[in-house]
Amino acid sequence: MRGDLDLVWLGALLLVALAVYWRLDPTLPRPATITILSAQFLPLILAAAGQTVVMLTGGIDLSLGAVLSLGMAVFVTNPAGNVVASMALALAVTVLAGAANGALVAYAGLPPIIVTLAASFLWAGVTLIVLPQPGGQVPAELVRAYNMGWYGLALPAIAIGLALAVWKLVKTTRFGLALYAVGGNEHGAFANGIDTRRVKIAAYGFAGLFTGLAGIGLAIQTGSGDPTIGTPYTLNSIAVAVLGGISFFGGVGRMRGTLLGALLFGLLSNLLLFTGISTFYQLILQGVVLVVAVAVKTLAARERVA
Amino acid sequence: MKGMTRRALIAAAAGALLATTACNVDSGATTASSPAAGGTASAAPKALKVGWSTIYLAPSWMQQTLKMLEDDVARLKGEGKVASYETFNANGDTSQQIAQIQAMITQKYDVILVDAGSSTALNPVMEQAVAAGIVVANFDSLVTSDKVIRVGTDQVEWGRMTAQWLADKLGGKGEIIAMNGPAGVSVSEERWKGAEEVFKKYPDIKIAANVHSEYNLAPAAQAFASAYSANPDITGVFSQGGALSAAALQTLVKQDRKLVPITGENYNGFLKMWAEKRREGFSSIATAQPNYLSVIALQAAVAKAGGANVPMNITVPLPEITDENLDQFVKPDQPDDSYPIQPLPQGEIDKLIAGK
Repeated sequence: MRGDLDLVWLGALLLVALAVYWRLDPTLPRPATITILSAQFLPLILAAAGQTVVMLTGGIDLSLGAVLSLGMAVFVTNPAGNVVASMALALAVTVLAGAANGALVAYAGLPPIIVTLAASFLWAGVTLIVLPQPGGQVPAELVRAYNMGWYGLALPAIAIGLALAVWKLVKTTRFGLALYAVGGNEHGAFANGIDTRRVKIAAYGFAGLFTGLAGIGLAIQTGSGDPTIGTPYTLNSIAVAVLGGISFFGGVGRMRGTLLGALLFGLLSNLLLFTGISTFYQLILQGVVLVVAVAVKTLAARERVA
Repeated sequence: MKGMTRRALIAAAAGALLATTACNVDSGATTASSPAAGGTASAAPKALKVGWSTIYLAPSWMQQTLKMLEDDVARLKGEGKVASYETFNANGDTSQQIAQIQAMITQKYDVILVDAGSSTALNPVMEQAVAAGIVVANFDSLVTSDKVIRVGTDQVEWGRMTAQWLADKLGGKGEIIAMNGPAGVSVSEERWKGAEEVFKKYPDIKIAANVHSEYNLAPAAQAFASAYSANPDITGVFSQGGALSAAALQTLVKQDRKLVPITGENYNGFLKMWAEKRREGFSSIATAQPNYLSVIALQAAVAKAGGANVPMNITVPLPEITDENLDQFVKPDQPDDSYPIQPLPQGEIDKLIAGK
């Protein structure tokens, strides 16, 4: 119930943002604009989805941006010779990278913030070996279809829908339930016979899947790979997940909150581009809006409890 | 009661968002209400809406570039060629830069200037802008797309020119330390490529150490100090960046060693030290990534929007700062972290834009 009210609040904010956006850009409801905007938001939405999975276990992933770049780099070097196989390979790499993070957290018993900080340097280095400088190849037809629409279909929006549908299925499985249980009360989960280590490794691996998809999306949007482009996604994905109501302490929050949070975050930063206010104030305003949104939400929740 | 609180909160948030839009309405009105102040300029039929998307704005080089650009915008506004101007700072986020260019397309800008955060990632969105009839001019950090006007310097020539000076200064023989930027950064690779070409011609010049460092004073000083302690008998330093040169010279001065020739850049901290030590026989050559690249890009784009034929690739000659003309560049009263440059005469800019 509480979660639902949080989402109502976020949804209302999003509607306001959409209405304002529509006024500034009357082409908003057209398929072409939806395609462009969804291509623009896809990496952030999926990166935040990955961050959400990790945060639900009570962890945090500071290597997300580096893994995103890694997935992008593997994909654009086209190691398998064709797009679909290269995509699969890139996802395999990011899932393994995520699972490796998870294994360190689960078995070494190190705090996730330390493990993933160290991992961020490691994966950034590996990315530079795979792709030393911006470049690589994505088939031009794919870039065009993805960015301009394919028979009027917004492919990025469909990809987001599919990825989130997968999550919806996974959430109902034993793993999905165990994920919330481990995040909510690890000892309790363990006492109830859940293999908490396996759950954690699977969760970080699953986050790697979302992160890899984000990297592939970014590669298709930009038609190339860039070994350092992922960095800002680390903090942005955390900001979005928190905005979406995912708790830092694990076990609390829902993926649809993250989706709303990502859309709001993306729309707000786009809106500021239409406002014509000085560029440094844009950064300040973006920060203020984030803080206010989270603070008001938290206060509202506290009042209801009281 | 609970419901009311919630509604009040939503209303407050809506208010906050609308307040943001109110700003936009204002600025929108001003831009829309300034039509071409017709007359003097025969080339430009209407005043243009110009925007600059830059990957960073905070570094001092960018601040100087912004200032130069704004001065030229003011001049062009006076001539009725430019109606409005806007800066967008992506703050290191290339995805944000894509969103900025997209927003400028939606808002029907006439000219988009870009200092790119990635040499490839902006290509699709910039080409989209070109397809929408917008003139896109890229300067400083260049992209690989050949559909946009590109205004830059030849980084290979940078390395070649400064290395050649050093080779001549050493009479074609000696032992040097090479100070390069971070591995994998294309600017660093290109400058070194040019330098290496030169040094290959002089088998008697031995490269005792090839040091990679951030383009920052502190890490560069550390890196140079350890290379220097292993090779104290060097007779010169090839450095491809101002902070690197300052670090090397500083180390020699601190350790009270012989001031061997060091190549440089127009980083004011280095220029100041050079001017001071010139009396003691220190000699250098420096070049620059000139801030006026932005002005040339702006003028080229405005000319193209006015129907002129403008070359797609404009390579701006590298300035040469020598022992003789150093005093025209060095700014003793300004901070170390600035990049003094002499403005390029308008005649030279016109020649570059005309493709001569």
